[in-house]
Amino acid sequence: MTELQNKIRELLEDHTVDLVIGWENGSLPLVSSPVFIKKAEDAGKVNFDVTCRNNLTTYLTKDRRQLGKDYQKIGIVVKGCDARSVVLYVTENQVKREKVFLIGVPCQGVLEKKKIFDICEGREVLEKRVEGENIIFKGHAFEIKVPFNDVLSDSCLGCRYPDAREFDAFIGTPRGELEKKDEFKVVDDFEKKTPEERWAYIKDEYSRCIRCYACRNVCPSCYCNECFVDHNDPQWIGKTPEVTDNIIFHLIRNLHLAGRCVDCGACVSACPVNLDLRIMNKKVEKEMKDRFNYTAGLDINEKPAMATYCENEKQDFIMG
Amino acid sequence: MCNTYLPFPMKVERIITENPDRTLRTFDLSFINEEDREKFIYMPGQFCEFSILGKGESPFGIASSPTEEGILKFTVSRTGSVTREIHYLQEGDIVGIRGPLGNWYPEQLMQNEDVVIIGGGFAFTTLRSMIVYMLAHRERYGKITVIYGARTPEYFIFKEELETWDARDDITLHLTIDKPYPGWEKLVGFVPTVTGEVNLDPKALVLVCGPPVMIKYTLPVLTKIGFKDEKIFTSLERRMKCGIGKCGRCGIGSKYICIDGPVFSLAELNKIPEAF
Amino acid sequence: MYKFKIVYLPEFLEYLQEKYTLWAPAKSGTETEFKVISSFAEIDQSRLNTTLNPKEIFFPRREVLFSYDENGIKTPPPPEKPVAVWGLRTCDTRSIRMLDEVFSNAHQMPEKEMFKDPYWINKYADSLLISQACRQPLSTCFCNWFNSGPFDETGSDIFVIKGEVNYYLKGISDKGQEVLAGFAKAEQTDEKDAAEIKDLQAAAESYMSPALDISDLKSKLDKIWDDPLWEEIGAKCINCGACAYICPTCHCFDVSDEGKAGKGKRVRLWDACMFQLFTKEASGHNPRSNSLNRVRQRVMHKYNYFVDNYQKFLCTGCGRCVSVCPVNMDIREIIKKILAHEI
Repeated sequence: MTELQNKIRELLEDHTVDLVIGWENGSLPLVSSPVFIKKAEDAGKVNFDVTCRNNLTTYLTKDRRQLGKDYQKIGIVVKGCDARSVVLYVTENQVKREKVFLIGVPCQGVLEKKKIFDICEGREVLEKRVEGENIIFKGHAFEIKVPFNDVLSDSCLGCRYPDAREFDAFIGTPRGELEKKDEFKVVDDFEKKTPEERWAYIKDEYSRCIRCYACRNVCPSCYCNECFVDHNDPQWIGKTPEVTDNIIFHLIRNLHLAGRCVDCGACVSACPVNLDLRIMNKKVEKEMKDRFNYTAGLDINEKPAMATYCENEKQDFIMG
Repeated sequence: MCNTYLPFPMKVERIITENPDRTLRTFDLSFINEEDREKFIYMPGQFCEFSILGKGESPFGIASSPTEEGILKFTVSRTGSVTREIHYLQEGDIVGIRGPLGNWYPEQLMQNEDVVIIGGGFAFTTLRSMIVYMLAHRERYGKITVIYGARTPEYFIFKEELETWDARDDITLHLTIDKPYPGWEKLVGFVPTVTGEVNLDPKALVLVCGPPVMIKYTLPVLTKIGFKDEKIFTSLERRMKCGIGKCGRCGIGSKYICIDGPVFSLAELNKIPEAF
Repeated sequence: MYKFKIVYLPEFLEYLQEKYTLWAPAKSGTETEFKVISSFAEIDQSRLNTTLNPKEIFFPRREVLFSYDENGIKTPPPPEKPVAVWGLRTCDTRSIRMLDEVFSNAHQMPEKEMFKDPYWINKYADSLLISQACRQPLSTCFCNWFNSGPFDETGSDIFVIKGEVNYYLKGISDKGQEVLAGFAKAEQTDEKDAAEIKDLQAAAESYMSPALDISDLKSKLDKIWDDPLWEEIGAKCINCGACAYICPTCHCFDVSDEGKAGKGKRVRLWDACMFQLFTKEASGHNPRSNSLNRVRQRVMHKYNYFVDNYQKFLCTGCGRCVSVCPVNMDIREIIKKILAHEI
């Protein structure tokens, strides 16, 4: 049994928590699955590896809010970004800090399926193996060895805080804060394009959206009881999966996430049609950083950026 | 090819506000095209999709009886965006109608039988249709007993008609309100209680229609009196879109309310998960 | 059985285009979906399964039912040419045939014209479904659970097997045979070809995991409607519509008005039973407000209710939902859990 599994068993045995949300091996080689552990003897199911893309804290809110009622205290395994979501919940009064027990794990980054698909030229991966700095993908009649970084999700490549900074127990050796000089490079590059080019890109991407709302539903920060797209009377937005309504959905979601996106990448990995959902979120994150020097989920005592006002804040948007 | 998704136009002839807080209105509609009128053959219990172009459509039970030729009657409670638009209609406006849809009360089984009709609130619409139909063919049926409950006397719909029925001796009407009310001399008490008190003959066939909570508490009373599940019929409601068993919205178990219902016997409902 | 050299495919497709509007898998951004194509070059068959499914061809994600203005209502004109689809997998073809039972066969009441869906029928009528054998099924494929397999011809008008140098084509329906007979480059196959096909089929089938016996699934589901098992199955579901939208057999839809009172369109849009809004009534009451109830509804509809109405499962084992689910709700695992569950 791993150290993580032991810890979970211990927490359930001594009734520190009555539920642990973690990951277990999924049914496919590149996918892990969320798992809800209620009995100490099931702790052995829990696993943590490079396929654990989900931000499990999303189960603490939405119509899962009742988890908080059904359980006295919930243990939850968190990567750096996931722990930031909990911090966000606490600052936004969605979750009481004492109701959750955070089991921090040091995160090496998680795989992005799309990159693997491209590297393997569409061939199906049946096995994966991490070997030092490399990862090996095997399928029918092929084996490919690539540097780990080539198949990490963009969120992980830009990640500065791989360890949970907020935790009640930490399993493993923390990686420490990473120096990422080009965190917003993708945004900077995008901003260099002409407005027409940017618009064309956004339009092309969002025209493919099928409005399954997987991005919204996996997102820990999208916890509105009733999302504006579901509001019927008045109806704010057309239900049609057509480009105009799709753009309204995604851009409003972007704005709702201002100062609230922890760049966990859950939306990107959930999208069944692989839309570039990150670029606009990252743009909004950059704006928040530039204007308010605010990064979501870092300080549990800080007020949410959009819920506070300082006189010396930049107000150039008013001046035009 | 027949296209059931296309509404045909009808004209609003008359609007009656049924209750003091103006949330219930009855709309009498007339056919604009003769061929639509000829094609529209229906039975009490069926429903239509009522369309306001640009706003959408909603299903409503038909409150008129096939014996009232040339008009269709719907009573609409203002709850959401479509029903609000319907309430904004004025006499002379044109609306879209699709139907008749769904099945109907078991009129064939009711022939030569005593019939008990139990209704509550504004869900009395298709029951009104059935009663008017039975009174027009009075000789076909045995004893007709009606139990109808509302919050206060003001919340009965079709008030004028209730008075004429009450005056007839070939139909027994038990009107009841929830709480005592100044000037009310008829029954006081909830529908389930009244149902247990008016000496119903369990050989009769029963039609029950009303708010879910009324149905929930009335059914056990009927069973206790001795009514068989096969002889108790009720009409269900769910969100609906297509009305022809495709869109999946009104599915309960393997049945679709829009084509297998809305009228089901209690015996059928007992076999369907999610029915209640 | 006919054959023609692989290089003649563009010519064959052009031949089809004389009479048909041709649909085939094509790139859409990073993904592949069925699109109307004008030339062979647009075809993308790098994936076994298209990301989006072929129901789009006959049941688009947004379809205008009619437009209206001061002159009344107008339905969209029926398509000029019938549809031919190249690049379907055998599971895709079977799924289209299933949807046809729902939309054209009038809910088992063929005498009732009013239950037929003219929008589906207009596009589906006279269509030519060309399915292709899967030479290397994916690990997510489970068509063999449903008495099918990578070389299943059922439902196809023409069944195609890609060999090393030839396409082998079998006319299954009269329509399919006629089309093949009219293509000048098509030759009759010989014994050597039959041997190649046999080998290919054996190779393809060797990629499939053994089929699970699901003959008890329906009767099991009949008994577990209010079993706590659903909590175990559905707890991790986030209630998005990814599975329903990429499913080739899910067909629930919404009807919505676009535009204003005087001028606009009534459209139908794909919808999914996974959403709160699907059953939420104007009063605010929702008979299926609980997320677990919605998971149960989807499983029950596919493997229980549909069987009641159409005597078959509403699933062809294409595996798309298995690979896209953001939380690894693997329908195969769910079925296994249900079958193994002691009541």
